[in-house]
Amino acid sequence: MSERTASVTWSGSLLEGAGRIESVGSGAFAPLDVTWASRTEEPGGRTSPEELIAAAHASCFSMALSHALAQAGNPPDRLETSATVTFVPGTGITKSALTVRGSVPGMDEDAFRAAAEDAKVNCPVSKALAAVPEITLDASLL
Amino acid sequence: MARGAGVVTAASSGAFELPITIASRVGEPEGKTSPEELLAAAHASCFVTSLGGELARAGTPPERLTVRCTITMDEVEGAGHRIVASALSAAAIAPGCDDDGLARAAEAADAGCPFSALLRASATVTVDATLEGET
Repeated sequence: MSERTASVTWSGSLLEGAGRIESVGSGAFAPLDVTWASRTEEPGGRTSPEELIAAAHASCFSMALSHALAQAGNPPDRLETSATVTFVPGTGITKSALTVRGSVPGMDEDAFRAAAEDAKVNCPVSKALAAVPEITLDASLL
Repeated sequence: MARGAGVVTAASSGAFELPITIASRVGEPEGKTSPEELLAAAHASCFVTSLGGELARAGTPPERLTVRCTITMDEVEGAGHRIVASALSAAAIAPGCDDDGLARAAEAADAGCPFSALLRASATVTVDATLEGET
């Protein structure tokens, strides 16, 4: 079992106030500013819950895929993954779109796509996001 | 992957670029983040805006809110690693708000927070909230 922690503060109203991710358990990042505008309009260099979810999803998917490829005897040289999470105010988080480009010696495109599809379905963050209406994947070899 | 390493970058805002490994995910973090820590930061920052909104709607806008979130990943028999819980703990400075009012706002915020709604489909989400300072 592993536990991971983050602390956030908010001062002022939703629209005019501002938040800050003050600390995370690992010490790897923070402080990071977060505002309603950075969430719903232009980021302006500030992060948002959805960007953090995107980072979590992309990194989780990459780990799952890398592990599965290595287990199957085709460890990847490199995986480049992006996740784009869509937030619709009033509706919620509606989509996470994964894109992966892989450099995998000895593997053909179909096998890579199949492994990527499996990672999309089974990685822990995908499972946690199972209630998101749409999770898409675009996978191909570099 | 046990020997590999990654970098996770906030491409839309440019707000962070972080090393990440599987060892730091399931063992000691050793200064590296993990998907679960990123989710904890996401859930805390999502919930804090919902709670602020609910307190303002109740006529007791907060001066300051602090939310701590802990995400737990565990190995579930037959299902591999799963995110099983998210525990939110909030502290509020909200003039005019009493304990009952805060409890109601926290419950409504949990119901309204988009990320709580998603996580609840597959994990346990818990919330506790306390008042701080003069009210």
